[in-house]
Amino acid sequence: MIGSDRWDILERIGAYAASELSGAQAREVEQLILEDPEALRLAESYLRMLALLGAIGDESPEVPEAVIEYAIRRAYLSAFFRQAEDFFAGMGRAYLEAFVYYLGLRSPGSAGQGI
Amino acid sequence: MTFADHNLAEKAARGDVEAFAQLVRTHSGLVYRVAIRITGVEDAQDASQEVWIRVWRNIKRFRGDSTFSTWLYKITVNTCLSILRKERAREAREVSDELLQLPVLQGSEDDPETAALAGERRKELLRALGRVRAEHRAALVLRHMEGLSYAEVAQILDVPDGTAKGWVSRGRAALLVALSAEEDSR
Repeated sequence: MIGSDRWDILERIGAYAASELSGAQAREVEQLILEDPEALRLAESYLRMLALLGAIGDESPEVPEAVIEYAIRRAYLSAFFRQAEDFFAGMGRAYLEAFVYYLGLRSPGSAGQGI
Repeated sequence: MTFADHNLAEKAARGDVEAFAQLVRTHSGLVYRVAIRITGVEDAQDASQEVWIRVWRNIKRFRGDSTFSTWLYKITVNTCLSILRKERAREAREVSDELLQLPVLQGSEDDPETAALAGERRKELLRALGRVRAEHRAALVLRHMEGLSYAEVAQILDVPDGTAKGWVSRGRAALLVALSAEEDSR
């Protein structure tokens, strides 16, 4: 039975074990399982594997505190640099505006409107 | 929960680090869990840290079209896959068609849940998972370990639904073969 299209059969039995087949497709695999002991063993193996996957999936491994601390520390650092960057950029702009005003390149009325 | 996440994400996007810290504390379990299963225990910590750096850097791009957790899954999976791509030497050696022997796992009369808790089998499964091709593994983890729908898996992996289904299906078959090989080598 199982020969050249082994992956196809393997995947179809897997889909059946995962309850993802319905109607004619499900009946076809059921028939196969009834007729072929090898297909039956495959289906049983899938069921065991899926139960194992689900059980491991339900576990919640403890997150190392270092991960959480590192992420938060990095964000604080990055936020600090962002603010510092904004501060110095703002100061630079103010100095530039003052300099432009000092050179008389702009009238007093337009001060503070950017250059 | 989702609404709260959305609020926190908005605040974080405006530079509120405390809001970001709250998101980290709430969702670090999701990130670490998925990272362990896709990259393995050794790389999970680095992967998780990289995920949070990317989240902070890109939080302004979170528009709330999906839930925050879907967006986070997406960044986590992409980060893990890019780490795996960088380590191609360790990349999955997925079982090829030619050497496919139909796999049979050793039977147990125990209740599958009970059997599932057996430590050795658990380790074997995680080792076997490492031998499944990275994209297929990610799809498998999201579907069968995280319990997501195919639509969610497809959205996270940024592929059509059919591709997501195909990857899960192929990953399931490859995992069974790899797991059977693990048992044989015992």
